[in-house]
Amino acid sequence: MHILLLSLLATPARADEDQAETCLRTKIWDGYNTGYAVRTSQKATLNQGGHKVYLVTLYAGTDYKVLACGDTNVGNADLVLYDHSGKQVAQDSSNDREPVLQYTPQTTDTYYIAVHASTLNDLGKQGSVSTAVTYK
Amino acid sequence: MFLSLSSRTRLVTPALALTPMLALFLTVAACSGDTPAPAAKPADKPVQAPVTTAAAPPPTLAMSDLAAEAQNVTLAPSPAEMQKAMEKAGISGGLSKLVQDRDLKLDVSNKDVVAVRTGVVLADCLLTVKEATKEKLVARLALVKTGMNTLGAGKDLPATIDDLTARINNDSISRDDLVKELDEMHGAIIPEIQFEAGDRSVPLIQAGSWLEGSNLVAAAIVAANKPDAGTQMLRQPEVVGYFLKYVKTEGADKASSGVITQLQGTLEKLQEIAAKPALTLDDVKEIKAQTDSVLTLL
Repeated sequence: MHILLLSLLATPARADEDQAETCLRTKIWDGYNTGYAVRTSQKATLNQGGHKVYLVTLYAGTDYKVLACGDTNVGNADLVLYDHSGKQVAQDSSNDREPVLQYTPQTTDTYYIAVHASTLNDLGKQGSVSTAVTYK
Repeated sequence: MFLSLSSRTRLVTPALALTPMLALFLTVAACSGDTPAPAAKPADKPVQAPVTTAAAPPPTLAMSDLAAEAQNVTLAPSPAEMQKAMEKAGISGGLSKLVQDRDLKLDVSNKDVVAVRTGVVLADCLLTVKEATKEKLVARLALVKTGMNTLGAGKDLPATIDDLTARINNDSISRDDLVKELDEMHGAIIPEIQFEAGDRSVPLIQAGSWLEGSNLVAAAIVAANKPDAGTQMLRQPEVVGYFLKYVKTEGADKASSGVITQLQGTLEKLQEIAAKPALTLDDVKEIKAQTDSVLTLL
């Protein structure tokens, strides 16, 4: 038990990553109750103001919901969707660590999803953000 | 800390900003006797805009940054997503009925071939999870497990497959819950695994799943005679380019595998077709034939 506790204390980053993943997993599974299925899920460790970009193919007429969860060090995470030419087409409107973005493309194409760690509570630490693309 | 500070600022600032205006209003009212005061003129001093709690939007990323930084692991749609999109495109019937029984070897020495085959079986699992018999489902999961072991996926995923298999066998998991588990395995767990077989394993597993899904979609479109759906469902030049990059990578074990050579040829043909602005029914038939040529070699 002591060894387990020590190992947990020695790896705070891992614990934070798990926190973000657990939050996201709950949201993904809840989504199945409203018809959304998960397509992909990814995690990123970011500094304040840092971002990660994912390229995705989205089908015309399919309803997409992009979900993200930051760990408790993330004060505000943001999601932005860009089309193939780099034009911004959607953005989440929340000011918290669990942003959501919905979009239904008119044409099948590739899009860029950017996830930003806009605000971290403790600038001395990184923040972990897990992001999922769900669809129905 | 950030939020509470912002909230406090929001409450205090408007009151401070209004103080000069209030003083001006009271002065005018005091000097005017009973005569109604004219409307107060705006103060010369500019009124400070109230602070809102809306966070600044994240910086807009330039196209060059998006292209340079984008991770491609999320690029390909899942087979289940293809099925859903196909229904939305007006082609009913589903893909599960088109899935064939395959006798695939997942314990061969060529890891590239194992990765592609594992992706194909995984796609079949995802597409038939609700309708397949218990025996077929368990057999497909056993193949996925063998593939994962051959690729060196570690212990967790094979253990998860064992657990799912046990729950299927004793009817303690619903098919709806199994859909969630397999979606998660395909889209979240496998892409994160560091395979002993190397970085090529994940994209080649994805290539196998995408190839199987595309083959079935092409068959359904041809059967429904709906070429418009071909453009919507099968024209994915970036996805093809992503897979081609890995198939062509130096070090690929192509010498001992006709499968990978055929896969490269098929992907090059698909890239040629995907370059068209719209696909015809003949294009869709060609996609079906090209993907068939890889799948039959497996």
